[in-house]
Amino acid sequence: MTDFPLRTSRRGLLVGAAALATAPAAALASTEAEPLHAADAPIEDAARLSDRISPFGPHQAGVTTPRPANGMIASFHVLADSPADLERLFQRLTDRIVVLTKGGPVPEVDPKLPPTDSGILGPVLTPDALTVTVGLGASLFEDRPWLQPAKPRALVRMTQFRNDALIADLSHGDLVIQFCANTQDTVIHALRDIVKSIPDQLVLKWAQAGSVPVIAPPPGAPPESARNFLGFRDGSANPNSADPSLMDQVVWVGPENDESGWATGGSYMAVRIIRNNVERWDRTPLLEQERIFGRTKVTGAPLDQPHGTEAMVPDFKADPHGKITPLDSHIRMANPRTPESRANLILRRPFNYVNGVLKNGQLDQGLLFICWQADLEKGFITVQRRLDGEPLEEYVKPVGGGYFFALPGFADGQQDYLGRTLIASLSPTSQDSSQSGPSTHQVQD
Amino acid sequence: MRTVTLAAVAGLLATTGAHAAEPLDLVGPVSDYKLFVSEQTDLLVDETEAFVAAVKAGEVEKAKALFAPTRQHYEMIEPIAELFSDLDVAIDSRADDYEKAEADPAFPGFHRIEYGLWEHNSTEGLDPVADQLLTNVKDLQGRIESLPFPPEVVVGGAAVLMEEVAATKISGEEDRYSHTDLWDFKGNFDGSQKIVELVKPLIADQDPAFIKQIDANFEVIDVTLAKYEEGDGYVTYDKLTDQDRIKLAAAVNALAEDLSTLRGKLGLD
Amino acid sequence: MTATETRTPPLSPRTARLALSGSAALVLLGIGAVWWAASHAVPESTEGEIAVTINDAVCDPMALTVPAGKSTFRIHNASNRVLEWEILDGVMVVAERENIAPGLNSTLTERLKPGTYDITCGLLSNPRGTLTVIPTAESQAAISAPEMRTFIGPLAEYRVYLNRRASALVKATAALSDRIEAKDLDGARAAWIEAREPWRQMAPVAGRMGDLVNRMDPLAIYLQGQESDPAFAGFHRIEYGLWAQNSTDGLAPVAAGLAADAVELQTRIKALELTPPDLAANAADLARRVADQAAGGQVPYSQTDLTEFTADLEGITRSAMLVDPLVAAANSATSAALHQAIEATQATLTGFAVDGVYPPFSEVDAGGRKAISASFETLSTAIAALNPAIGLE
Repeated sequence: MTDFPLRTSRRGLLVGAAALATAPAAALASTEAEPLHAADAPIEDAARLSDRISPFGPHQAGVTTPRPANGMIASFHVLADSPADLERLFQRLTDRIVVLTKGGPVPEVDPKLPPTDSGILGPVLTPDALTVTVGLGASLFEDRPWLQPAKPRALVRMTQFRNDALIADLSHGDLVIQFCANTQDTVIHALRDIVKSIPDQLVLKWAQAGSVPVIAPPPGAPPESARNFLGFRDGSANPNSADPSLMDQVVWVGPENDESGWATGGSYMAVRIIRNNVERWDRTPLLEQERIFGRTKVTGAPLDQPHGTEAMVPDFKADPHGKITPLDSHIRMANPRTPESRANLILRRPFNYVNGVLKNGQLDQGLLFICWQADLEKGFITVQRRLDGEPLEEYVKPVGGGYFFALPGFADGQQDYLGRTLIASLSPTSQDSSQSGPSTHQVQD
Repeated sequence: MRTVTLAAVAGLLATTGAHAAEPLDLVGPVSDYKLFVSEQTDLLVDETEAFVAAVKAGEVEKAKALFAPTRQHYEMIEPIAELFSDLDVAIDSRADDYEKAEADPAFPGFHRIEYGLWEHNSTEGLDPVADQLLTNVKDLQGRIESLPFPPEVVVGGAAVLMEEVAATKISGEEDRYSHTDLWDFKGNFDGSQKIVELVKPLIADQDPAFIKQIDANFEVIDVTLAKYEEGDGYVTYDKLTDQDRIKLAAAVNALAEDLSTLRGKLGLD
Repeated sequence: MTATETRTPPLSPRTARLALSGSAALVLLGIGAVWWAASHAVPESTEGEIAVTINDAVCDPMALTVPAGKSTFRIHNASNRVLEWEILDGVMVVAERENIAPGLNSTLTERLKPGTYDITCGLLSNPRGTLTVIPTAESQAAISAPEMRTFIGPLAEYRVYLNRRASALVKATAALSDRIEAKDLDGARAAWIEAREPWRQMAPVAGRMGDLVNRMDPLAIYLQGQESDPAFAGFHRIEYGLWAQNSTDGLAPVAAGLAADAVELQTRIKALELTPPDLAANAADLARRVADQAAGGQVPYSQTDLTEFTADLEGITRSAMLVDPLVAAANSATSAALHQAIEATQATLTGFAVDGVYPPFSEVDAGGRKAISASFETLSTAIAALNPAIGLE
């Protein structure tokens, strides 16, 4: 019936969970939380402060690991004039990630000194399912001749799509960090820790926090996809993030992606801050809303199976003229479900955001869209191009974001660190230029 | 003996490697800092006199030329000057601090004059503002003279100046009419560096890496600012490239972070 | 923790230690001596006075050893001339007794911190003896750090004052030298008087820099050859020329030397370290010295003693008043007595002025001199009460 290995049943979910549990990459330390898929709504009362997600493995955590209730994207300018500077930055980031995701007591210092920790989590850090995922922007490579040759093949500065109105202060960046955790405090704590720990190499450019609703699924039913601020379920057709081999095809860079060796195990990340015109949307008739999306609003079921579930797969072949599911509906344009469009699969893992009030007195709310793919061009860019001109554009306005390449993962231990393969790939001649910058400055004696 | 040489240079009792700075070791730095502040305050008064005279004579171009170098002295002594909150408001507050912003009759001081000079290219109506500025600057001089400097204010001042730059200056909002922000930066940086230089001998032996890092970041600032020198001063702030603004921001943030430990390292809480 | 709570060189209230940076070596030596003392069980203290006899050329004994803390020295002048006796830390005067007449005794009580000091033995040219101060448990009891902090501000203020005075002295002595070069007698006299003001204002501290005082301010009466002694230099040599000889002849090299010494003094002031008890102790000591000198006067040729005393009072007041806010909080009566003594001394001095101008000291009779002496004596006593009131003694 379907060409796509979507999550279609409770059984599938459990198989996926077993696969996840045996995967060395991202084993959940907590046995209480039932494993979820990337875009499932977090389950009510399941999250614990003690939830720990290992940062170690061939891939970074925070991509295929279950999405907790809170997330944030923070984009930075990077100060690194040499491979040695960049290596130092990666090692410092690694150190903080290990400490923050592990949890434990905050070191005590002389009270005459500023505390080393913001203290917002108290004297003992709780891991709280925190993941810290680091991606690199095209500008990091392009602005540094010694780094240019290492740029991932498909990594480009995010270009303006038809409906975009990108704000410079909310777009791009040399380096991006995605923080995800059960609670907002843990996310904020992690951001503040990074800002405090690495002030000389990371200058914050923009940040956008978001959250997803925590839902209690009906007894015996699988977890549901979370709703976005337009009231629709988002992520229903996501590929199964608990299927490692599928993730190897869809999300993770591998040998077949024609990338430099250092990039293996990494992933392209598209971030979009999509403002929703919620007032106007709320004044739009329900049927029109459903036609724009191509799903029913209440359950998320495809329009050709209105009494089904969100997990059901629409049969577009049976509706070639779009009489049931309009040809220009969001789900049909984004994923036409043809054999060719299989190459364009992406793993969505977004958050909703609320930023207060706009100058015009309307609500500043929307979607912090985040998706992951092994090939940016075949993934998000192709999908978004297909969406150009969709009716939904009347109600949404992408204002920021950027494209990034999430580094491969790193192993537990002294030798490995985030970005090690990238640093190792840089030629020794370029490493000779490392005698500059503050880190190697010599003080007269 | 190294320790003795060090002390002779610094004019301080030597602290051996095994001993951290002791409270009285700060007497030298605090008094030297007061001498520095007095010197800068004297210059501020002298130059404000000339600036005010130009404003009152209606010499717009001359007043414009004197604006930035004059207030640079104020920026240098900010940790002490801001102890006198009434004068700080009267001398250096911004239009944002007033309900009607620039149009507010209560908007005083340097920035009120800056607004008139650059936005209206005129000294009209500035006479009383200028007179009051000079009175306030002289009042400041007298108050600074009779103030025993609290050591924690002096030592903490190094970080305060960096916080100032990081929070309200790097954005270019300080001298928004004249865009002479780089002069102010220079004043803030020099004021901070002066404090660091004065207390450095008390820390250098125990924590050379800390000093090395601070020196390196000050050097980044010096080198970056030097690119924008023009005549005796600086080009306007809009000419600062994004790349250099980021470089400055990183160095300022790193210094603010490091210098925030200075008080504790010197036993002051 | 980067800051230590202990202050290793123990404070010595009343010793008015004015360490030049070079005496850091002594501090280190002192710490070593504590360890030595601890392991060799040296007696912790001795009671009674330490007798020192000053003969014509030597002290008897030439080497003294005392425990740290308060010691009282009984100085017997067995020579045939008036002398002063000093305890020196390097070139720094730690304590001194002036105007000890031949055949008489004088006592000096001083709280000493561990270290090795020199003692003078009569004439400046005589060899010096040594005074070894051994640490005791009590001397090691550190004054708590929070208390020390409160003195940073006052000490820094005083240091600023001294630096400015030193700077004024450098300028004024250069001007004096300039007038003498120009053979401008009146101009030189005016410049001399002007230069004396910062010099006297700094006297609580500068007066302790033994070698400089001996070059810049020696009195002929303390020198072997009196006015014709080759060591007769500095201020009084110039004063002698300008007033006693009514001439600038031969003064140019003296004035140049004085100006050079003023620069040296300025350098030392910059490198000076004061401790909290110094503020009051130095002031009390100077007040007492002035009281000692008031009968005879200190500027015999110019007779501008009243102007000098006024500058002394200003320097004394500046120093003592810096601890006054602390004293006032601890013991208001002590503070009130200080204020009263300052005002009384001021009033005594201004009482001599005629139309705002001081007459020559020769016109002040013995009764007037006694009144001045008495007011400075009272002032010294009032200031001496400051340190005990704030736990510095």
